[in-house]
Amino acid sequence: MNWKNVLLLISADVKSYRLVSEERFRRFREDRFVTYALYVGACVFGVAIGWLVGNFYSGMEDPQLGGVLLQVAINFFLSLPTLALLYGLVITQIGQIQRIGVKASIQPLHWFPITWKEHTLASILANILGLPLAITIFISSGIAVASLFLGVVPLAVLTIFALLFSVLLASATTEASKVLQVRLSGAVTKVAGRVAIWVRFLGSILVFIVFYAAYFSLYRQATTLALLELIAGGQRMLWFIPYVWPGIALSYFDSGLGFETAILSLASIGFLYAIFLAAVRLNSRFGLYEAPAIRLSLGEYAPRTGVLEKLGFFPLEAAVMRKDFKALTRRRELTYVFIFPTMLVIMPFITVINKVPEFYSFLFVWLALMPGALMASSLGSYMMGLEGDSVWYLYSSPITARSLVKAKYSFTVLFSLAVTLVCSIIGGLLAAPSMGIAAIALTEALFLIFSLGMVSLSFGIRGAEFRELPRPRMIRPKWAIINMIVCILLALAIVSPVVLYTVKLFLEAVQAPLYAMVPISGVIAFVITYVFYRIALKNAEEFLIKAEG
Amino acid sequence: MSHEPTVKLVDITKRYSDIVALEDLSLDVRRGEIFGFLGPNASGKSTTLKTILGLVKPDFGYVNVLGINVEENPVEVKRRVGYVPGSPRIYEFLTGLEFLDLTGDIYGMSPAEKKKRIEEYLEAFELEGREGDMISSYSQGMKQKVVIISALIHSPELLLLDEPISSLDPRSARIIKDLLRELASDGVTTIMCTHVLEIAQALCDRIAIMHEGRLLALGTMEELRERAKMPESDLEDIFLQLTGTGDIRPVIEALLK
Repeated sequence: MNWKNVLLLISADVKSYRLVSEERFRRFREDRFVTYALYVGACVFGVAIGWLVGNFYSGMEDPQLGGVLLQVAINFFLSLPTLALLYGLVITQIGQIQRIGVKASIQPLHWFPITWKEHTLASILANILGLPLAITIFISSGIAVASLFLGVVPLAVLTIFALLFSVLLASATTEASKVLQVRLSGAVTKVAGRVAIWVRFLGSILVFIVFYAAYFSLYRQATTLALLELIAGGQRMLWFIPYVWPGIALSYFDSGLGFETAILSLASIGFLYAIFLAAVRLNSRFGLYEAPAIRLSLGEYAPRTGVLEKLGFFPLEAAVMRKDFKALTRRRELTYVFIFPTMLVIMPFITVINKVPEFYSFLFVWLALMPGALMASSLGSYMMGLEGDSVWYLYSSPITARSLVKAKYSFTVLFSLAVTLVCSIIGGLLAAPSMGIAAIALTEALFLIFSLGMVSLSFGIRGAEFRELPRPRMIRPKWAIINMIVCILLALAIVSPVVLYTVKLFLEAVQAPLYAMVPISGVIAFVITYVFYRIALKNAEEFLIKAEG
Repeated sequence: MSHEPTVKLVDITKRYSDIVALEDLSLDVRRGEIFGFLGPNASGKSTTLKTILGLVKPDFGYVNVLGINVEENPVEVKRRVGYVPGSPRIYEFLTGLEFLDLTGDIYGMSPAEKKKRIEEYLEAFELEGREGDMISSYSQGMKQKVVIISALIHSPELLLLDEPISSLDPRSARIIKDLLRELASDGVTTIMCTHVLEIAQALCDRIAIMHEGRLLALGTMEELRERAKMPESDLEDIFLQLTGTGDIRPVIEALLK
């Protein structure tokens, strides 16, 4: 194992995420503060939380309450390795799926003298950089500081090691499974033929949903102390699952069982090494595997006039919209666009259903408003960036800014409307809302979709990011954040007349029928849509001129 | 051959911070001419093509294409031009057929015309049988063929080709060369960048040699020979002489040490 190669590969991976803007393109100099800001921020935040918890504990006058808090903290420590494993798995898997669809055949690994062991280790370590490491640093710094006040420093130190170990274990597991996913996907493609696109699309969404469902259900539960207790106490019963061995080792240490702690720790290290070797073996066997070609059409070519032309779109606009639809359904790395709206449908069922009887009265409004609005505000921001490396084709095409905005906006709106339709049907069947509630919720949904679609498109054009490697971002982080904040604020502004109406004080002051509030919402939505249409148009004009950037 | 310029570049200068990409470039390209740009890497060839198409806005000067000021009406220029960029990336999630269909729609071709032209080109470039496969499974040469077809199917009046033959097989390269000659006789103008000097010598009516954003020489082969004072030389010797990169012996010796 050449450790220098491993470090160089990790460094290359880190550098691949650089966002080099046009003015800094030449003589690029690393801004170390920006590079490490995430980790420094996580550490500072963790220390602050730990200090607050510690001070809160120190200030407790009731020893009985202090004891309870200490026990909760210890349970938290003991459950951390298993929780870290879960979030590590979720985040690294999501990252992997986002990368998997991008054909990254330009890997120096293929012709440089680098072994599969070095490549695999570098990949495992690189996968934990970013969010997994930031979360780990946040928790570690928090428990380190808190443990000084709680008087459990040795346990905290071991917990930090176990935490890092679990994240590493998760990343190694993802590394091993990613090759299997690619191989399996190739086999499915070969068998499924033309249906492969849909099998792949739905399969990717399913994988996402399973992970997200597990993630959210756990984290919703984790707010209650029951889960911590369950993991802390219950993981010993799951001794036959090697993934919980770090957690069990920690609980043995807490019980003062030194020998058992040592055995479990060694066994955990052995298990990690076994996973690593399996990943190396799988990489060397299938790492260069190229999935078979998907053949989508056979026979004579027959151009057809589509539905979009019949709806009044110019052939050029319709062609761009059809191309974008194919991009969203065929590019696996873009399937996550569908995940959040889908999760919004599923999330309420994970924890709330059967527990709150009033749940159903809000279900329809939730399903009618949220998935479509979220789709409009996210999809619009991706619409330009999804052109990726092929953006030269748009630049060199005879497309006007107006047509570009029309095609991209219409696609965003139509897609979001389809999502709203599906979710509303589900909500309608489950909740059976009154006609009045259904009409108001759906009208508000339309207002949100039409306005937020334009808002996010205008930011999506302005902040478009076309690089596809190591994964497509589609919008630069700064603009993604601006888009999110502005969309939330404007969405609140649009629904505020209806929401305010439901507030008792407002109701008493105004005494107007609920229906009277809807047109006010509509006027707000119209103004927002028009203003952002002008902005989107201006951004598109600049975008088409600035091809050189 | 008409002498009406299809492309007119006047005093074009383009800078990227302290790098001069194009400096005071003026030239005319006539209708039906095959015009070649030669030059070392980063000499400004591709930037010139992009400027002609309106993809790069010059800091000074102006460009007229087919009688249209590019800066004022870039969309009309794009409608009448076929463009093949250097190392093009195309939508890999589409099939070859879908990409060409998209191109036909973008350039406003009728369905019948689209079908006829696509089928003709697919057959000519031996892509039949693979046109229904996703482009992600194509070789580099096949992708290049698809891009070239997409530049040709809408019958443009001007072709801007950046290294069009670089990854083509000999048969397809020959088809392109013969096709460009035929198109030129029909009045279609071609401006191409290439590093393959034999192709430039055999194909181009006039050649422009560029170096560090400046036009070093412009003319027919005979005119270039006269300019370089190398009456019996081929284009390679003239190119190396004019660009001052001819004395490569010390470089080889240094590398072999």
